[in-house]
Amino acid sequence: MKKLALLLTSGLLLSSCLRMDSLLFNPDDSITEYLLDDFDGETEIDLDGSYDLPDSTEHVFTLTSDLEGDLASIYAVYVGDISRIATDTVILYLHGNAGHLDYYWPRIKLLANVGSKNRFGVLAIDYRGYGLSEGDPSEDALYEDSDAALRWLKENGLTDDRLIIYGFSMGTAPATELMANKRSMQPSKLMLEAPFASDEVMVQDASGLSLPGSFFTSLEINNAEEIAKINEPFFWIHGTADSFLSIETHGEVVYKNYDGVYSTAYRVEGGEHSDVPAIMGYDAYVEAVLEFLEYTP
Amino acid sequence: MYRYIALLVVSTFLMSCNSTRVVKTLDKGEQQITGSFGGPAIIFGGAPIPIPLSSVGYAVGLDTGLTFAGGVHTTSLLFGNAEVDLNMGINAFKTKSNKFGITVSPGLHMIYGFNGGDFSIYPQLEGIAWKEYGNKNNLIFGGLGTWVELDREKAYGEVQEHELMPYITLGHQFTGQKWNFQLEARYIGFTYPNENIVVDYLGPFSTGTSGVYFGISRKFGKK
Repeated sequence: MKKLALLLTSGLLLSSCLRMDSLLFNPDDSITEYLLDDFDGETEIDLDGSYDLPDSTEHVFTLTSDLEGDLASIYAVYVGDISRIATDTVILYLHGNAGHLDYYWPRIKLLANVGSKNRFGVLAIDYRGYGLSEGDPSEDALYEDSDAALRWLKENGLTDDRLIIYGFSMGTAPATELMANKRSMQPSKLMLEAPFASDEVMVQDASGLSLPGSFFTSLEINNAEEIAKINEPFFWIHGTADSFLSIETHGEVVYKNYDGVYSTAYRVEGGEHSDVPAIMGYDAYVEAVLEFLEYTP
Repeated sequence: MYRYIALLVVSTFLMSCNSTRVVKTLDKGEQQITGSFGGPAIIFGGAPIPIPLSSVGYAVGLDTGLTFAGGVHTTSLLFGNAEVDLNMGINAFKTKSNKFGITVSPGLHMIYGFNGGDFSIYPQLEGIAWKEYGNKNNLIFGGLGTWVELDREKAYGEVQEHELMPYITLGHQFTGQKWNFQLEARYIGFTYPNENIVVDYLGPFSTGTSGVYFGISRKFGKK
């Protein structure tokens, strides 16, 4: 009996490090290759054939991400002419916490249709553990993997003034972090779709009480605080019916805390967490993105 | 972010864990240890699933109609938090036959997080009406309680609009010589809409969440 009690006590004490951090990530690594247009699984939005792009502009390749010596080969897709990155404007798209690049492929295509087909280059990555990318996801890996994308763009001749970073949902964390705290490049504009303020807001939304986030996670993601460091133009879009990341408690707080040179907000009536472009209408969405990309301070 | 958000429901344990209060006050000198298991239900993947939360408690009859109870919330401990509740069960009313009564339990719920050094405290007040029936003195009971949110601010200085987190409770206690078994249902936060708040709670009228709890207790030390 004493042994059992000791075991139980030890178990409880040893397991006191149980945290919810890893639950932030919901990667899908079930694919064996990236199929892009030929992918017949679930995708985040559905696009008709009019948004298809020339195959010659779709490039799947790997990058090496170095997280304090932990090297991982992560997958990326670039839509555009790689040889023209030195002169083109490029959007780095950082996806949400589920799926893989095929799942987000229609979104990537949508951005590659802004203005006209392939007017802007679009780069997207699968973070560690997502799709065919090696390794396990973590908060630090999110930042490092995203920075690996920035390094690749820089190596191909992109300059800061022609780089726009676009984060969706969980991807708003590396987008905001890399914008607020310069690493390989300093993007010239920030676009956030359905951003979350912090894990603390999630905890408080879930409980209805003013609980500290530290009771459950050790995540340091804090978009609402990091956004205050950003001076570059900011585009925010959020569905008013977002049942996962409430526009009131998450999006509005992030938007309110921005204090830079220019901001534009789209509160999409009836939009849920993942269907904002569809609810808004793809044409209207593309037009809104274009207007922001063409804005010059 | 479905997976993360669904499991965030664990963060509701403060308001969802069964406090270790007694339904009916103990006799003077009588003691009781309790284990409780259960929690709120959420909709996940289209189906209702219960979130298991657990606590262990101790109660002692300080005087006739006055019972001190306290407990440790073991699920919370797993997350690196020391969560305890302390309360005093007061017999507010009892019939001469001792078959019907009302117990009022003011208490405090406290949590300290070892990872961030944060501390939260929630006063709690609950009133339960109970009725004994049958030869074995089984109990049915029902009542109303509430947590009190003392903090008027949420993250980033946003206004905390919830001053109270009320709940309705309804249960049954199977009474044995030494062991009691208790089954209890709760309707938590019934005054608050449960839509667009991260978690798909299972609550009627699109408000609050419902929960089911199972408790086992053993009495000893009666003098």
